Amino acid sequence: MKIVVADDSRVMRQIVIRTMRQAGHGGHTVIEAENGQEGLAAVLAEGPDLVLSDWNMPEMSGIDFLAALRASGNQVPFGFVTSETSDEMRARATAAGASFLIGKPFTAEAFDEALSPVLGAAS
Amino acid sequence: MTVVTEPTLSDLHAVVDEVWESFLGGAEQLTPVEATPAPIPGWSAAITVSGGWKALVLVQLTQGAARSVTVQMLGMGEDEEPSSADLTDALGELVNVIGGNVKSLMPGPSQLSLPLVAQGIVSSSSASDLVEACRLDLTWAGQPVRVAVSVSVDPTETRENQ
Repeated sequence: MKIVVADDSRVMRQIVIRTMRQAGHGGHTVIEAENGQEGLAAVLAEGPDLVLSDWNMPEMSGIDFLAALRASGNQVPFGFVTSETSDEMRARATAAGASFLIGKPFTAEAFDEALSPVLGAAS
Repeated sequence: MTVVTEPTLSDLHAVVDEVWESFLGGAEQLTPVEATPAPIPGWSAAITVSGGWKALVLVQLTQGAARSVTVQMLGMGEDEEPSSADLTDALGELVNVIGGNVKSLMPGPSQLSLPLVAQGIVSSSSASDLVEACRLDLTWAGQPVRVAVSVSVDPTETRENQ
């Protein structure tokens, strides 16, 4: 499966990929993006099975990235991986069409719980 | 009704502990120490919150601690040397996660900025309305680490905690 990981921090992209592996969801093709704009281009070019996106990014935020996808009719499963964990932000994420929001800092268990319904059970 | 304008030291400690354990959990413990007014030369990472709550969250640590944080977050070998860009990235993400979690405890809605990282000491100018409200002094692998939250003292910014 293909997964787009969008975060302006290379460190965090590495941690997300590492944690996916620890959660039993390694082995997928990961396409990295530094912001929502790059993420949008990657989704249109690659047709991924899942998008994992940070919220606050330069150029285009994660919430704007999601809004742009849904406005274009693209229904790719989309989850936030973000330090924005308030109830208000979770509600905004859900209203915009996100399937889940994983709060930073996160555990491998949290990743498995969020990803398994989309990618299938961990291997 | 309770007016909540700053996190408690206990809340800040809990957030920092959780973030540190998640990103840097390992042999070295993060231990609180007695507060000291002395600045920590090295690196500063800052993030601001605006809107329903106005604040600055600042992480300060030495060059040695900054390097160790970066090496661990990137999963580098101890013989590898992170670049300045790597340090900026890692420390920015560290303050982003601490700041985001502190923000979620405070009145909203509010907006989190992108992080700002610099070598040296960051402090508010005399014209700023931000006053340090909460400071955590710690030691990690023998190095000092400081996490501080400064909040706006403008009375018109006060919000009731609903």
